[in-house]
Parts: sequence; C-alpha cells; structure tokens
Amino acid sequence: MVSDFVLFGVLPYVAMVLFLVVTVQRYRQSKFSYSSLSSQFLENKQHFWSSVPFHYGILAVLGGHLVGFLLPDAILGWNAVPWRLFLLEATGLSLGLLTVAGLVMIVVRRLSSSRVRRVSTIADWIVYVMLLIQVVSGVLVAYFHGWGSSWFASSASPWLWSLVTLSPDISYVAPLPLLVKLHIVNAFVLIAFFPFTRLVHVLVIPNMYLWRKPQVVIWNRGGPAARGGGR
Amino acid sequence: MQISRTGRTLLAAVLVTGALAAPALAQDVSEETVNYFKANCTSCHTIGGGRLTGPDLKGVTERQGPEWLATFIVNPARVINGGDAYALELKREAKDQVMPTLPGLTKDLATKLVELIVVESAKEKSRFVGLQLSDRPLTEEDVAYGRALYNGGTAIASGAPACIGCHQVDGTGGFGGGRLGPDLTDVYSRLEGRKPLAAWLAAPPSLTMQPIFADHPLESDEVLSMVAYLKSTAESGRPTPGHGAFAFLIAGMAGAAVILVGFDLIWRRRFRGVRRRLVMESK
Repeated sequence: MVSDFVLFGVLPYVAMVLFLVVTVQRYRQSKFSYSSLSSQFLENKQHFWSSVPFHYGILAVLGGHLVGFLLPDAILGWNAVPWRLFLLEATGLSLGLLTVAGLVMIVVRRLSSSRVRRVSTIADWIVYVMLLIQVVSGVLVAYFHGWGSSWFASSASPWLWSLVTLSPDISYVAPLPLLVKLHIVNAFVLIAFFPFTRLVHVLVIPNMYLWRKPQVVIWNRGGPAARGGGR
Repeated sequence: MQISRTGRTLLAAVLVTGALAAPALAQDVSEETVNYFKANCTSCHTIGGGRLTGPDLKGVTERQGPEWLATFIVNPARVINGGDAYALELKREAKDQVMPTLPGLTKDLATKLVELIVVESAKEKSRFVGLQLSDRPLTEEDVAYGRALYNGGTAIASGAPACIGCHQVDGTGGFGGGRLGPDLTDVYSRLEGRKPLAAWLAAPPSLTMQPIFADHPLESDEVLSMVAYLKSTAESGRPTPGHGAFAFLIAGMAGAAVILVGFDLIWRRRFRGVRRRLVMESK
C-alpha cells in the first residue's frame, strides 16, 4: 500500500534528515539552548517521583530496542529458553510501566504546579503528548502483542537494517497490527520533532555539561518568553 | 525410404525451430512468477499432488477459462460475493474458507500465474507437486522434537525464529506463547490434517511470516515434527488465547513497584526541602 510505503519507507528518512540537519544547525546557532532547562528548583518533591522513574525507565527500554536492532540473534538466543523469554518480557514491561508512571507524574506536576506550568511552552506540551502516545502504545504492544523481544528481532530489525542500507523493505512491518504501526510511526515523528524541543538535552548528557561554560537557569515571570536560553 | 534434399532441409528447419521454441515457451514463465507462486500459493495448492486447503490446480484451465481464473485469483471474495456458481462451489469444497486476496496481485500477474499452472500441468511431475513428506506414523519423539522447535529449545536449522515468539499453544506454561499471531493449539484440525498443515509450514503464506520464512524455510523433518506436535495439541488441548497475560501484567507491575522501592532506597538521602523539617522540629 502507498500509505505503508510513505510511513515506513519515506518517513524514517525524512525524520532522520530533519533530526541531523536541525540538531547541528541549532547547536551552531543557539548552543545554550541545548538543555532541558531544569525546573527542579521550582518544585522538587514531585520531581523525584516523576523524573527518576521516567528517565531510568525510558533509557533502559531504549537500550533494549537498541540491542534488538544491533544484536537480534543474541536476543533470539536468549529467548530460546522460555523462562528467559518471560524474564526479559516481564522486565521490559516493568520498565515500560515505570516510564508511563513517571511520565504521567511529569505531566501532572506540570499541570498542578503553577510555577512549573508558567515555564512550560507549547513545544513542551506537544512533546509530552507524543511521549505519552509512544510509551503507552509501547506498553499496550508489550501486553497485547507479545513477545515483542522476539518478533522485534525477526521483523523490525531486518526492516530497520533495510533502511540503513538504503533499500527499504517494508514487507516486514506493513502487515503488523495497527498498534505496532502507531508505535513505530510516532517514534519517527518524535525523532523528526526532537531537535525543535527540550529533548535535545538527551544529546548532551552528561558529557557537554562537563566542559562547556556554566549556565544558570533563571525563570522570568514571563516564563515561556524567556526560553531562548538561560541567562 | 529416401528423403529428398528439400525434404531434409525442411525437416532440419522444423527440428531446429522446435528446439528453439521449446525453451522459449519455458522462458515465458518468469522466475518472478515462479517465486510468487511458491511463496503465496503452495501452502494451499499443489499441481498434481492432490488437494490441500484449496484444490489441486493440475489442468485447472480445463475446468475454467484463463480469463475467469485470472479474475478470480485477483479478488476471490468479489467473485464469490457476485454469486458466481463455480466460485460458490469452490467455497463449499473448501468448507467455506475463502481464498485470501493477496496485496499487490495484479490482473497481469494473475494471468502469468495461470500460464505457469498450464506449463506445470503439462509436465509429468510438476515442481509444485507438493512437499513429499514421509507417510510414516508420527511418534512421541516427533512430538517432543516439534515442541522443542516451537519453544526454541532446539533452534530451527535455517535460523528462523521459534514459534513461541508470536504464537500460543496450549500447555506452554509460564506467561504463555506470543500474542502477535493466532493460537495454534487446534491449527491441525482447522487446516484439516497432516498434508495441508505441512504445506502451510513449508511455505507460510501469512504476510507477517512470509518475508521471514522465505529465506529461512523449515526442513522436511522439522515440518513433520511440528505437524506431530500440533496434532498432539489439537487432540489433547484447547485454544487458550491470552493465556498467561494477566500473570504477565501482575509480574510487570510487581517489577515496577520493586524498582520504585529501589529508587527510594538508593536516593534515601536526597534533598527533601528544609522548611517542613524545621516546622516539625519546632513543634
């Protein structure tokens, strides 16, 4: 189908080009905007129970996806014993649920704390909606269409490698269930949107913080208007 | 008998032309068409090997014309729903299973497929006569080997992924089999026995499995063992789609709770603010 080709044969390239070009351009033009512009100073209590589960959860889940992409045979080898498959899947679901819980807390905190809400931009809210779609659909896929660790290695990984080798073969992913397709498409939309948002802080943790000039974030009452960079 | 010089020349011309024409006819059927037939048709049809889920296609053009066949192949459901008597008869013979409409199958390709069937039907033994599986009785060893192939304990020789990743079969235990594909517990009876199931396993036609198994097919002994295992589950088990899902969810939630407790312990000395503590201490 044409729509499948656009979504799985064209969109990934558009997303990657946008990601690379805008990321470099933004860094050249606005170096100090490479930050999540922490709001921890404004509210710290809910911050721990939102930020920590979300960040450790999503890092571990992304790491799992990366291993599935780079070493699919290793994953299938691990999954060759049922209890190991169950252990991996249950761990993945735990981390996914942790990520969802953390993200929901992040959104609740943004909404409930007037000080944090005041420093939130439209782009922040778009990021939260997209991240929510991503992590909730991921958990639903894990539950309704298990065992993803196995079929990611045999279906998604060959498709991703076909993209890398510039010979996209969408036959691996075109027949997958709608929920899986949503998860994949939203991931690439997120990648495309990434360099325009606070998500760029992913690229500079922790190395750039070590040697760049110090940056102090002071929020003006105007809030979002002050987000051109810390001062 | 004396053959004149002109006659010999004519005979030679006929023989040479014939020799050239024969391979030309065979070449009319492209490798692409052959591969398409192999990947999409052989799980339900043979040419001269008897009926599977669908009818044996040997000599099918003697039963219906090429134009009708090509139209039917492109969209079987449309022809059936149109009330065509022969199509309805085919559906009855297949116990109401409707041949799927294959994406990307054009009228042109369907015509080529019919031409391929004509060429193969003319052969004494078509290459699509079907998987030549042993007729020997299935043993307990076959069942055990098939179970090991299903859950991945024994790797499939071609490197294909184990079935458990996508399919549930009754008796899997733990959190059950995968939930991407259908429950296979009674697939032996759904596909009506050994031969159709073996043909299916030899060349899985589902769109999800096709790209994976096209380059990683099961070997004959693996197909036979899988048939033996799935025959045993069809006889003694019952489909349990969603088996283990609830336990899986509970395990996931418990794991998340444990990790949260871990976070609290690791960062137990974290900054929690000073005001509340001062207020508490002042009371």
